[in-house]
Amino acid sequence: MRDWLHSVRTLVWKDLLQEWRSKDMLTAMFAFAILTLFIFNYAIELSPVNRAEIASGIIWVVMVFAGTLGLNRSFTAEQDQGCFDALVMAVPDVSAIYFGKMLTNWLVMLFVSILILPIYSLLYNQSLINLGFILILVLGAWCYSAAGTLIAGMTVQTRMRDLLLPILLFPILMPVNMAVVKAAGGILAGAPLVEVQAWLVLLAAYGIIVTTVSIMVFEYVIRE
Amino acid sequence: MTLAIRQVTKSFGQHRVLDALELEMQPGELVCLLGRSGAGKTTLLKILAGLLKPEAGSIWFDEEQVDYAESHARHDIGLVMHQPFLYEHLTGIENLRFYARLYQVADDAAALEAALAQVGMQRYGGKPVRAYSRGMKQRLTIARALLHDPRILLLDEPYTGLDLQGSLVFNQLMLEQKKQGHIVIMTTHDLSHALPISSRFAFLARGRVAEDLPNRELSLDTLENWLTLKLAKPNSEQQKVAA
Repeated sequence: MRDWLHSVRTLVWKDLLQEWRSKDMLTAMFAFAILTLFIFNYAIELSPVNRAEIASGIIWVVMVFAGTLGLNRSFTAEQDQGCFDALVMAVPDVSAIYFGKMLTNWLVMLFVSILILPIYSLLYNQSLINLGFILILVLGAWCYSAAGTLIAGMTVQTRMRDLLLPILLFPILMPVNMAVVKAAGGILAGAPLVEVQAWLVLLAAYGIIVTTVSIMVFEYVIRE
Repeated sequence: MTLAIRQVTKSFGQHRVLDALELEMQPGELVCLLGRSGAGKTTLLKILAGLLKPEAGSIWFDEEQVDYAESHARHDIGLVMHQPFLYEHLTGIENLRFYARLYQVADDAAALEAALAQVGMQRYGGKPVRAYSRGMKQRLTIARALLHDPRILLLDEPYTGLDLQGSLVFNQLMLEQKKQGHIVIMTTHDLSHALPISSRFAFLARGRVAEDLPNRELSLDTLENWLTLKLAKPNSEQQKVAA
């Protein structure tokens, strides 16, 4: 277990360092997120009444679409230089690669959301500083990364990976999308955390189940 | 360590690449795999590395069947393939540090500098890999493959991109590996460089080792003539096409 955690830490360190140098994922995700926010700003007229309900939907849609760009990049960097084979040979267990990638995708997604939330607040004149709301986004991003990393690991070996990833990923994200939008909408409308507790439990359960299953099956996914 | 490949068979679709292939190697041996393109050399190396599963047959290290699910079996192997397995945005030192940490070997500056020095790259360790030439990448790839002191080295066209000096440095490293009793299997088309370090030349045809030629002070001419004769023989695929 210690070796496994050491490998995960090493993989995350490498991925973040590489991302910091190249900024491949961050630039694409951030640019896409900003553009989408601007389009929503022109397309949807928000009144103070419906603002709280719609804000959660807009932010989550922006995060999910931007996150897909990041997921696509997270494995292609390994594939381009053949590094995947070297990783498989070096790690104590192949699941460490999945977990390391999942953590990196999660962190990158959260970093992008830290950048876009103030911009959203500025555009829509709405404060999003709310611990409950942030907790929901953190849980939602975890669920998204857990499922997305597994699917990205599968699709990276195909020629149509850019197309296949969203087609395979979005249907299995339906429960997450619903839970995040409903829970975050409730919180932004002023409901206490207890009132959206069921959605939080759903997110936590989804995250735990998908992460566990992915750890178990990742070796079969990436082998020939 | 001894290495035995027993009855290994592998097909891709209808095409049988390896057909009950057998090969045994003793400690300190360097076997040079030769054969036409598509003869199965790279496939064999990938099977030995645990990256491909054979349909039948088994690999044995020291009379023990290898279970590639065990990390210690994979850690016995160093691999150099066509692709460099390097991260372009990291420096040479950072690439080595990453792999050293994964293999849990010394990753301090002195150890990594020594790893770079053995391939003559000590001056370039701080530069990002994307700024390296093909030859520099190949040197770093070789340093990466040797980093965890593997007992079996699998090298696919290791001379690719290396200049004369790089090839000599590589040969010196391989002689040291042999001296330590490590096993090296490599594929190459560069017979002039491979000749002084190879213990045997195994010619792959029709999915098997068609001939295993020990290197008893062979001359380059003899070796080239032998290989030309081997390559001149039509293989089964060509015979099928001709028919």
